[in-house]
Amino acid sequence: MAISKKSTFSLPHLDAAPSIESESSTAVILPETPSIRIRASKRWSAIDLHELWIHRELLYFLVWRDLKVRYKQTVLGASWVILQPVLTTLVFATFLGNIARVPSNGVPYILFLYSGLLPWIYFSNAVSTSSHSLIASAHMITKVYFPRSIVPFAAVLVRLSDFLVASAILVVLMIYYGQPLKWTILITPLLILHLTLLTLGLSFWFAALNVKYRDVGTVLPVVMQLWMFASPVVYPANLVAPRWNWAYSLNPLTGIISAFRSALFGIPLDLRSLLISAAITIALLVYAAFVFRHMEDQFADVV
Amino acid sequence: MEAPKLLFSRSDRNRTPLWALRDVSFEVRPGEVIGIIGRNGAGKSTLLKILARIVTPSAGEVDIYGRVGSLLQVGTGFHPDLTGRENIFLNGAILGMKATEIKTKFDEIVAFSEVGRFLETPVKYYSSGMYLRLAFAIAAHFEPEVLLFDEVLAVGDESFQKKCLAKIKDVSRDGRTILFVSHNMTAIERHCARVLLIRSGLLYEDDDPKRTVAEYLSEASPIDGKLEAHFTGNNGFDKRHPFL
Repeated sequence: MAISKKSTFSLPHLDAAPSIESESSTAVILPETPSIRIRASKRWSAIDLHELWIHRELLYFLVWRDLKVRYKQTVLGASWVILQPVLTTLVFATFLGNIARVPSNGVPYILFLYSGLLPWIYFSNAVSTSSHSLIASAHMITKVYFPRSIVPFAAVLVRLSDFLVASAILVVLMIYYGQPLKWTILITPLLILHLTLLTLGLSFWFAALNVKYRDVGTVLPVVMQLWMFASPVVYPANLVAPRWNWAYSLNPLTGIISAFRSALFGIPLDLRSLLISAAITIALLVYAAFVFRHMEDQFADVV
Repeated sequence: MEAPKLLFSRSDRNRTPLWALRDVSFEVRPGEVIGIIGRNGAGKSTLLKILARIVTPSAGEVDIYGRVGSLLQVGTGFHPDLTGRENIFLNGAILGMKATEIKTKFDEIVAFSEVGRFLETPVKYYSSGMYLRLAFAIAAHFEPEVLLFDEVLAVGDESFQKKCLAKIKDVSRDGRTILFVSHNMTAIERHCARVLLIRSGLLYEDDDPKRTVAEYLSEASPIDGKLEAHFTGNNGFDKRHPFL
C-alpha cells in the first residue's frame, strides 16, 4: 500500500481561521502532501518497514497485553515459562537418555537436551501462536487500520521473552554440571537473532496463509511434531548418516541448533549447515514479506 | 491472487463483476460535516471502511490530510482480563494514539466514562453499560482531524447519549471534519451541512441536506413504507428502524 504518514503533521488553516460556515470564502490551504494516501492495491510489494516503525508503540502494547494476560487464572502463573521446557526435558531424558541411551557429543544428556529443546520450544511455540494470531485478532483487523504484520510480530516477541527467561535454567544447568564457560558463548545472541528471523519468516507466511486457508492451522501441529524429529533437538546432528547430510542441512533448524550447542559447549562448529540455514532464512523472510503484503489487503474481508 | 484463466468455466466468464462502489468522487473541506445516506447495501459502510483503511480499494485513490478515527472502532481490542486502566492504554494504542497522548488525556477519559471507581477492575466484571461508556470515552478522546461515524450513537443510556452528541458538536466546532453515516434523517438534517446519497454503489446526489434527503425518501420502495408504518406509526422517519 502506498501509504505514508508524516509524523510532523499540522493543519495551519484550522488554527488560523475556523470559518466552517462560509464555504465560499477563501480557498483552503492544505499541506502539500496528504498524510494518508490510499491507492488501489499494487501487485507485488514487501511489508512497509516505515509503517511498522511508526506503529512500534502498538507492537509494544500487544506484547505487553499478551504477557500480562497469558497466565491469568492459572495457579502456577509465570512459572509455566520455565516449567514447559523443564518438564519436556525430563520426559525425553527419561525415555531417550536413560532407556534408549542416545549419544550427546560427550555433554551430559540433560544439558544437551535442554540446550536443544530451549530453541526448539521457542521456535515451535512462536510459529504456532503467530500462525493463529491474525485470526484471533479478527475483531481488530475488521475495525481498525494498523500494519497487520504487527500481530504475528508481537506473537513472536512474546515467545522470545519466554525463551530468554527459560535460558536462566540453562545457565543453572551448565553450572550444576560444571560445564566450562567458553568465549564462544558470546556468539549466542547472533544465533538467537538468526533463529528469530527464521521464526518471523515462517510466522508471517503461515499467519497470512492461515487467514485464507484454515487448513494451515490444522496441519501445523503435525508438521511441527515431524519437524522436531527432523532437527537435532533430542539427538546430535552427527547421528545422521553422512550421505544424508546434505538433505539434513536443508532444514534451517539443523544449522542453528547445532551452532547453538557448539557455542555453548565448544563442540566443533558445522559452518556449512549454518550458512545454508542463513541463506534459507533470508530467502524465506523476503518471500514471506511479499506474500504477507500481497494477502494483507484481503484480511479484513476474509478473516 | 488471480486464478489461471483456464480454470474459469464459461458461466464465470460471462459474469459481470460486482462493484461495491463506482464513480464515487468527492472532496471534503476541513471542518465540514458530511452526511452519507443510502439504503442498506448501497455501499456506505464500504466507503467508510476504505477511508478508515480497513479494506483496500481495487481501483481509485484517496488523499487524506490528517489522522482518521472512526466510531466503528468503539471498544476494539478491549481485553476482558485487563483492568479499565490497562484497557485505556491498549485501546488507545490500537486506535492510533501515542502513549504520551493517552497519558495526558487519561483523567479526562476516566471522568467522561464515569467508571472511576472501577478503574482497577478487569473489564469482564463491568456491566455492559460501563464497558460501552469506557470504550466510547476512549474513542471520543482520540481527536483525529477526520472522524467517521457509522450509526453508533445508540450507545448507553439516554443521558450518556446526550453527552455523546454534545461531544460530536464539540468536535465539529473544533473544526474537525466529520463523515456521518446514518439512517436517522433528523440527525442528518440537524448536523450536516452537506449530504451524499449513495445508490447501488454510485454517488447519486451531493447536495444540501433537504434536497438529498427528499431524493432519498422518494426512492424508498412501497414495502419500506409499509414496514415503517408498522414500526413507527406517524412519527415519520426520525425514528425509523435502522435495519429497514
